[in-house]
Amino acid sequence: MKGTAAITVHVVLYGSIAEYGGGTHIADLYLKLGEGSLLGDVLTELGIPSEEKGYVFLNSVLCDAPGLNASAGLTLKQGDHVGVFSKDHMWPYQYRDGIRMSDTLREVMQERGAMHHTYGTTPQD
Amino acid sequence: MAKKILRINMSNLKATYEAVPEKWARWAGRGLTSSIVFDEVDPTCHPLGPNNKLVIAPGWVTGSPAAPSSGRCSFGGKSPLTGGIKESNSGGMCGQKIAKLGLAAIILEGQPADKKWYTLVITKDGVAFESADKLVGKGMYDVAAAMEAKYPKTALIGIGQAGEMKLSNAGISVNDPEYSPGRYAGRGGLGAVMGARYVKAIIVDDSGGPGVEIADKELFTKGRKALAAAISEHALTKKDGGLNAYGTAVLVNILNEAGALPTRNFSSGHFDTAAKTSGEAIAEAVEKRGGGMMGHGCHPGCIIQCSNIFPDEDGNVLVSKIEYETTWSLGANCGIDDLDYIAAATKECNDIGLDSIEGGNTIAIAMEGGLLEFGDSKGALKLFDEIRKGTPLGRILGQGVEATAKAFGVYRVPTVKGQSMPAYEPRAVKGIGVTYATTPMGADHTAGYTIAPEIAGVGGKVDPLSDEGKGDLSLAFQATTAFIDSTGYCLFIAFPILDIAEGFGGMVESVAGVTGLKITGDDVVPLGKEILKMERLFNESAGFTAADDRPPEFMRDEMLPPHNVNWTISDEVLDGVFGWVHAD
Repeated sequence: MKGTAAITVHVVLYGSIAEYGGGTHIADLYLKLGEGSLLGDVLTELGIPSEEKGYVFLNSVLCDAPGLNASAGLTLKQGDHVGVFSKDHMWPYQYRDGIRMSDTLREVMQERGAMHHTYGTTPQD
Repeated sequence: MAKKILRINMSNLKATYEAVPEKWARWAGRGLTSSIVFDEVDPTCHPLGPNNKLVIAPGWVTGSPAAPSSGRCSFGGKSPLTGGIKESNSGGMCGQKIAKLGLAAIILEGQPADKKWYTLVITKDGVAFESADKLVGKGMYDVAAAMEAKYPKTALIGIGQAGEMKLSNAGISVNDPEYSPGRYAGRGGLGAVMGARYVKAIIVDDSGGPGVEIADKELFTKGRKALAAAISEHALTKKDGGLNAYGTAVLVNILNEAGALPTRNFSSGHFDTAAKTSGEAIAEAVEKRGGGMMGHGCHPGCIIQCSNIFPDEDGNVLVSKIEYETTWSLGANCGIDDLDYIAAATKECNDIGLDSIEGGNTIAIAMEGGLLEFGDSKGALKLFDEIRKGTPLGRILGQGVEATAKAFGVYRVPTVKGQSMPAYEPRAVKGIGVTYATTPMGADHTAGYTIAPEIAGVGGKVDPLSDEGKGDLSLAFQATTAFIDSTGYCLFIAFPILDIAEGFGGMVESVAGVTGLKITGDDVVPLGKEILKMERLFNESAGFTAADDRPPEFMRDEMLPPHNVNWTISDEVLDGVFGWVHAD
């Protein structure tokens, strides 16, 4: 977490990782972070292990996928909305083909392949 | 024993068993329904007239012992909704029982001159034509109760009042293992095609049937085990994985976060309270209320088990099941976030015999047309009652989105080829938009399941992240899906077989093992393309042109919040998807 001046971001956790935000299946919370905090700081602040997170959104833009850690370095600003899903949440490629995604995730997917359901957890990946 | 075709002629009430002709011998499931429709149905016929047919065909491996998640059954005919060829498939109990009776397909044709309604009882000894007078006018829950009492442990295929009225949004109900009629071959109005044969219900009793012959038991066993291992290993399909824990409604929050959840008749991609209608919310209600379940299987032998049983506040069963498409069409797309309403409306669709995607979209059109306000759940239930009663308004609503839009002067009409779009906004998910626009089925989210690009034959040739590549990818996905729709396997095996090569190999080996067909993974796309070609040619003969392969006009003109995007894929890309049909 960077800086001392606080920003507040809206965070929703979906699935089994909701427990890190005090929920059962969904946790909806507002998180105070230091100015200049990064997307990855949300997971750190809540104690969510990287391998347990799946798809991650920042203001409706897809920033990460299960098994990847592509956009943890994006800088957050006051009022941002972050949605984090558990690793088991499915999103077949045909239902995200053309979705808006961060430049950093796009670069990783260009390299690793865009169509996997999960990355790094199967014998072929 | 070689499989047979059971041909049931409702004009003379005769049932005959025929050897499977050579031209159809290698097909099953969608491949077989589309082959028979292509060969036997005049593409220009009226879907409700005497020249249309309803074809029912289980997949290649359906009914074979221990093939995982393989209970799918295809229903085919000319669609009253689209005017083109239709294959709509369902889980439930019928596919395995039809296959175990040694039947490759059932062809239902003709119409009784006296327009009396029948229940067909299919056993190993033949077909009995019973009067359905006592069932006429009843919804599917009453029909199922009556049929279970009379024919326990059978499969039930039936139509509700919508099918009797031959409404274009009438689906075909199939019972699940608890004899609940909530599984549907919903899309395209095939319930009206069944109704036009004056068949209210079909009972399938496989007692004493010959079972499914396995041509190469060793190959089949090797294949099914590899596929089962892949399903059990993969994060999405394993026990307690995403599908098992939350059902298909696990997608609600994801699509909403992405700005791609069609909301209030496709006017936005985000619904503020969508989470209340999600798989996570369904699971929470099941846990708190008791009496329901997640991880319910729609047919014996399913190891994914993505279905659910939703209880009311007192723990009594309300409905099985609430799926992603249902909770979206009746929920976000109508501006409604009440799960209990969604459960009640789902049950209405199941009972009346309506496709819940088209049904929910129709309510949204009625809301846009000023018949009621967005968010008015009580008003929506009244509209379903209008359909059930067959009032003039109900008959308009029962014709689906396009007819309702015309009746109420609505411009924003989210259809392709007369069929309304499922729960993925094509302006935000442009790849699915290419499939919606070009599939022979009309807008259909199950027409293009992803397969690994190297298997699809496009590896290295196209960039999946570019707009230019979306046409080639859509074709590859559509071809692969046509193949999987023919196997009898649930489409959700597509997830593990994409990521785990042994699973893909196992799927193909199990098909080769059951059928004796000498096929490998290299044959998947070519065989799928053969099916697609028949379907496209049928549609062309029915009068379809390139103009029918387009998303609706408003999607080019209106920007979709929150990303403020419109449809930008060129017509040339769309026309290129099936350009090969006349070139090959």
